[in-house]
Amino acid sequence: MLDDFILWNNLKNGDERSFSLLFEKYYRDLINYGNSLCPFAEKVQDCIQDVFADIWLYRNSLQDNVIVKAYLLSSVRKRIARLHERDHVFRKTTTTDVLEFLFDFSIENNLVEDEITAERVLHLNKLLNDLPGRQKEALYLRYHQGLSVDQIADLLDVNYQSANNLLHRGLLSLRKEWKGSIPLLILISSGVL
Amino acid sequence: MQKRNNYTEIEDFLADDSFQLWILSKVDEQGWEEWTLENLERAKLVEDARLLLLAMKVPNSKLTSNDVHEALKETWLKIEQRELVSLNTLKIKKQKIQRYWISGIAAAILVGIFSTWFFKSNMLPQDNVVTYKELVEEDNEGLVEQTNNTEKSQIVTLSDGSSVLLQPNSKLSYPKIFTGNERKVYLSGEGFFEISKNPKKPFFVYANEIVTRVVGTSFRIKAFPDQQNVEVLVRTGKVRVKSNDLVGSDKGEEIVLLPNQALRFARKELVFSKITNITEDPILVNSVRNIEQLSFEFTDIPVSQILETIEQAYVVEIDYPKDKLKECRLTTSLSDQPLAEKLKIICKSIGGDTNYEMNGNQIVITTSGCN
Repeated sequence: MLDDFILWNNLKNGDERSFSLLFEKYYRDLINYGNSLCPFAEKVQDCIQDVFADIWLYRNSLQDNVIVKAYLLSSVRKRIARLHERDHVFRKTTTTDVLEFLFDFSIENNLVEDEITAERVLHLNKLLNDLPGRQKEALYLRYHQGLSVDQIADLLDVNYQSANNLLHRGLLSLRKEWKGSIPLLILISSGVL
Repeated sequence: MQKRNNYTEIEDFLADDSFQLWILSKVDEQGWEEWTLENLERAKLVEDARLLLLAMKVPNSKLTSNDVHEALKETWLKIEQRELVSLNTLKIKKQKIQRYWISGIAAAILVGIFSTWFFKSNMLPQDNVVTYKELVEEDNEGLVEQTNNTEKSQIVTLSDGSSVLLQPNSKLSYPKIFTGNERKVYLSGEGFFEISKNPKKPFFVYANEIVTRVVGTSFRIKAFPDQQNVEVLVRTGKVRVKSNDLVGSDKGEEIVLLPNQALRFARKELVFSKITNITEDPILVNSVRNIEQLSFEFTDIPVSQILETIEQAYVVEIDYPKDKLKECRLTTSLSDQPLAEKLKIICKSIGGDTNYEMNGNQIVITTSGCN
């Protein structure tokens, strides 16, 4: 797999193949993220394709040394936000001008092997899904899309500290409740470990 | 892997790709299991991180690589379309600048300096490029022009019953009534032609530097003023293409195309290349329109469905008494027929007093039901 930086630079110089490679590499991730921000799959596809079309058409004014994935995720978010502002369908469903993170986290059922684990995971999952949308989004970007805190701050348009808080607070409140309600069971000898 | 010895928070683990890989895919390349068991405090952290990961699943993308490929293709198409639009606006800007030039030069002539050669050498078309404007100006038959500035295809019906599906950013000039023993039209942009058969009056399409001659058939021509190639793609019948005499380099070369063959004419080099298998040409494959894909062979098909196919193919709206035609089914072959002919055949097959009327892209069918 060629390095993103190289592909990005080739793309800037008009290399169609590099463009296609980057598209194929990140399209699924972007669809996944887009769907978490907008319930209309077709619009999401459109937005993502427009993001890529823009990249190609304005390739001469692209910056160097971009973290491609973070750039793409951020562009998709902006694009969907713009759609969201324009589209009345959205206005009816949400009152804030902030995009709502729509995913609910689910459970890796086939990896849960015993009942105790199942119970704890179920509980955790519920706590996770009760978190505010923005905290969930930060967690998703950090642990599923692998963005750094810096990049998340950029993407969500907040400063580093706030992004860090979003991530940390999410897990912290989670742990408090979780520790409080369930006795610590460390079953090193059983289960996976 | 020294890094992980400093992990003190669940977050550290969650953000570690190889840790995720171990938990979620059970691929333990870095010896996580062993490392975990070294230390009880560590094991606790690992277990918490594991549970969290298990509870944090996100929906998997169900996209196949084919889906991704399709999306990529669509994106390239989008890019092409947008490039076209921006090229056109650029052209308009250029033309405006040229207009200033002309007035400047005209002034110069008035003052009596520098003669017309400067004007001519500047304003005459370069090289061999033949423009739509020149072609239309040369024809003195009194042409009508239809321009499609919308985003949808438009249907043009000619006096001989032939139909042309004109694509966005395209225009067609044609005589109100075809006189003489030739039928001549001029195209700039893209159009899908379905020509009514008349061997005595061959049909000519002039598009940029090439001339396409047919007697009765369907084919597509793509000849945008700002693109390097002109394309002709044949769906039914036989088509002959040669370069326009105006190009000068006329070697009398004539190319014959049969169904599902195409040719590309490189405008700069004045070279034809014939494409015998259009499915292997990515550009052509990408640009196939509805009308070329839909089948017009109907066997015992409800009339409503046949009309729907026509609506899709020609981007028209058909109004008809749905209840009266509810039970009607037809078996008919409408391929290779212009729109007007298709409608005529359908009306005749329904029978009785069935008639149609066409106004722009609105078609109204009146009937009292089928026999």
